[in-house]
Amino acid sequence: MHFEGQQTIKAPIETIWEFLMDPYRVAECAPGFQSMEVLSSEHFKPRVGVAVGPVKATFTLDVVLNDLRPPHHAAMIGHGVAAGSAVDMSSSMDLKAETETITAMTWSMNVDVSGKIASVGARLLEGTARKLTEKFFDCLRQKLEVRSTAPAT
Amino acid sequence: MSVQVRGLGHSVKRKEDPRFIRGKGTYVDDIKLPGMLYMDIVRSPYAHARILNIDASKALALPGVLAVITGKDLDAAGLAWMPTLMSDRQMVLPVDRVVYQAQEVAAIIATDRYIAADAAVLVDVEYEPLPPVVDPHKALEPDAPLVRPDRETKSNHIWHWEAGDRARTDELFQEAEVIVKQDLYIPRIHVSSIETCGCVASFDKVSGKLTVWMTTQAPHAIRTVFSLVSGIPEHKIRIISPDIGGGFGGKVPVYPGYVIATVAAIQTGRPVKWIEDRSENLQADSFARDYHITAELAAKRDGTMTALRVKTIADHGAFDAAANPSKFPAGLFSVCTGSYQLQAAHIQVDGVYTNKPPGGVAYRCSFRVTEAVHTIERMVDILADKLQMDPAELRLKNFIQPEQFPYKSATGWEYDSGNYPAALRLAMERIGYADLRREQAEKRARGELMGIGISTFTEIVGAGPSHTFDILGIKMFDSCEIRVHPTGSAIVRIGVQTQGQGHETTFAQIVAEELGLPVEQIVVEHGDTDTAPYGLGTYASRSTPTAGAATAVAARKIREKARLLAAHLLEASPDDIEWRDYKFQVKGTPSRSKTMAEVAFAAYTNHPLGMEAGLEAVCYYDPPNLTFPFGAYICVVDIDRGTGEVKIRRFLAVDDCGNIINPMIVEGQIHGGLTMGMAPALMEAITYDENGNIQQGTFMDYLLPTAMETPAWETAKTCTPSPHHPLGAKGVGESATVGAPPAIVNAVVDALSHLGVTHLDIPITPWKVYQILEQHGLVEV
Repeated sequence: MHFEGQQTIKAPIETIWEFLMDPYRVAECAPGFQSMEVLSSEHFKPRVGVAVGPVKATFTLDVVLNDLRPPHHAAMIGHGVAAGSAVDMSSSMDLKAETETITAMTWSMNVDVSGKIASVGARLLEGTARKLTEKFFDCLRQKLEVRSTAPAT
Repeated sequence: MSVQVRGLGHSVKRKEDPRFIRGKGTYVDDIKLPGMLYMDIVRSPYAHARILNIDASKALALPGVLAVITGKDLDAAGLAWMPTLMSDRQMVLPVDRVVYQAQEVAAIIATDRYIAADAAVLVDVEYEPLPPVVDPHKALEPDAPLVRPDRETKSNHIWHWEAGDRARTDELFQEAEVIVKQDLYIPRIHVSSIETCGCVASFDKVSGKLTVWMTTQAPHAIRTVFSLVSGIPEHKIRIISPDIGGGFGGKVPVYPGYVIATVAAIQTGRPVKWIEDRSENLQADSFARDYHITAELAAKRDGTMTALRVKTIADHGAFDAAANPSKFPAGLFSVCTGSYQLQAAHIQVDGVYTNKPPGGVAYRCSFRVTEAVHTIERMVDILADKLQMDPAELRLKNFIQPEQFPYKSATGWEYDSGNYPAALRLAMERIGYADLRREQAEKRARGELMGIGISTFTEIVGAGPSHTFDILGIKMFDSCEIRVHPTGSAIVRIGVQTQGQGHETTFAQIVAEELGLPVEQIVVEHGDTDTAPYGLGTYASRSTPTAGAATAVAARKIREKARLLAAHLLEASPDDIEWRDYKFQVKGTPSRSKTMAEVAFAAYTNHPLGMEAGLEAVCYYDPPNLTFPFGAYICVVDIDRGTGEVKIRRFLAVDDCGNIINPMIVEGQIHGGLTMGMAPALMEAITYDENGNIQQGTFMDYLLPTAMETPAWETAKTCTPSPHHPLGAKGVGESATVGAPPAIVNAVVDALSHLGVTHLDIPITPWKVYQILEQHGLVEV
């Protein structure tokens, strides 16, 4: 499954970059986030619960950031397992400063789901994955905008 | 007298039904033994992956978990792999890689079914995903991922098989005035029996005897395979196939779960039960069909068919674990010349590995006959369309004629008997074919979509003559053993095994007919290898043709001894004793007679000097040929222009299975078979995404027909006895499954033929039809 999107965020590019490099802040936006083990600034293992139709599963993900070109480009490779299911994802993101306080974010993501979640929830899978992905990036935008406007108020 | 006996031709109520309708059947999951443990299976989420590590520590820490068995454990005992019935081998548990989704990876043994299921979730398996190949055409490309690196041949090609006369076929195609060609895909489907697979394995450490209650259609073959693989002497293995909730071919293969549970029972010294859940059954057990066919039919302009050429890619999944007779890797697919006179045919099939569960199960058909019949019955309709001939007329023109039997087909089969024109004419007359064609023309003029489809199929069942048919070298005879008790009742034990076909009734009727004993006094046992005579089991409509014949012959052996006893009792010469009206009479003196019950009593109380006491016989019957049931089916469909839904308005099945033992059971077999034929035609298909994820992993997505979708079937029959079967019977269990799909497809294509539609692959879902309607602006809002 391939997803992509674009967001215009009312925040300076550096603020966004700084936020995105903080795994705990990003994790707040991961749907179903439960806990995380941080192995390094670029390698962490979050646990997230997802439900696709009738199937619920808790994935332990192994996420590695790569191709970091601050503050313009980042990529991520993630791999996760749950009982009878597995997920493999890769994602990349580009940031471009439109003005000093407005940044354009473009992202794309490939997700391959295997096992029970894919076979039992097949009809619902793409819709659910799209929804979760969009929710994640919406959440990022909201948090960043609150954050960047906070000092002004 | 004959009312009491109720032998052949009587609709005797099924002896097995009282226990089934009272909920008193004994299925494998009803077996409960003291100290029994439960097994659950960890399955692969990936269609293709390397196993890097299996960490069972968390699972083992769960109270109640006794063991976690992995491929490495089995490998140490030489049991990580097992032979399949097709001379391939199959992983019981993987040592280093998985090759399809839902494949067994590890097994949990626990004191409770729910603890086992909880523990399965706790096993951490580290995988390295590998690229899967799910399309058999892609699997044949040179750079395709290799499904089976364990094999010497580093290719996904399993075997090539052909039948017929290539040179003569090519010649006829060169001379042909008309050629039609069509690609047909017969999708992967699943048997979905009500009862899933499972077993209870119990090993007596004192006697060294292994007893396995197992959902199997072939208990004796399983016993032999178990003995060969495990080294346990065959007399110390007992396989019991108790009541079975539907087999349909899906319970012929040996599944890894049976083997793992057996190993666990031997290791722990406690009985181990394994029962699949519905999704496991649907995702991992062997599948049927999956044939990618390209067919060409050559003919003259007047409609005389001359030759057939067929090339097929057979997707067998990751292991060639079907149960075809060993000389027939593509089963009896070469019967695809059907009911027609052809001068030549050439059939080629290539078996291919893909990252999918094993395929090739003969789902309620005699080894690929469904695929064969679908091919020829579709091609005949495509030719009729091309020639603008009526499909019934084209069939009548090309049928093998009654006087040509026994008929040698273009691919070498000797059809035993048949009268195809009679069956089709009866079907046309019963359904009012000419009127339906007039109605169709009127409706078409008004823009309504109605179609009439015909299928005039020939089956090939009852494998088989042992010179041609064997499974792993074991010849495909079958057997019966009869003992008549002193008071005139009898026990019959047979080498075949029922999964709902009604053997306990029909086999009792055969003995009742042959011995003149009331059917109520005859008990039939089967499925227990310690007591039943050796047989190859029930599938491919072989019970009546093989074990049914064995039963008749064994009963006749008894009758022959009984005649000598009767002569002794009647103080007459054996030559003067004849069997009439179910008793022995002195010729010309009907008042001097003895019943079988009287003779049976004498066999134990008053047998003549020099004759052995008792009254029993055994027969291992090796049929001289297969039998060839046939039928003419006509289907009438209406298409809903709003939804694209195909509605079967009428479906008439005229079947000819030779002489009938129990008409009610035959009728039931046909009703069930028609429903199971309609399902793949309109609803069922198993598909995979590019990662090898099954997309119909539950009954939410895999559509089985219910009473809502099933039309009121109409049936009729003709009777052309088999000349070589002792009872003139042919077998009927699968005719309808085989014959129905093309009748339905032909009807739908017929309804849309004026739009230029010449073929539709199954299943013909509402969406598929809706898209055609949309293309032609015919959707009714």
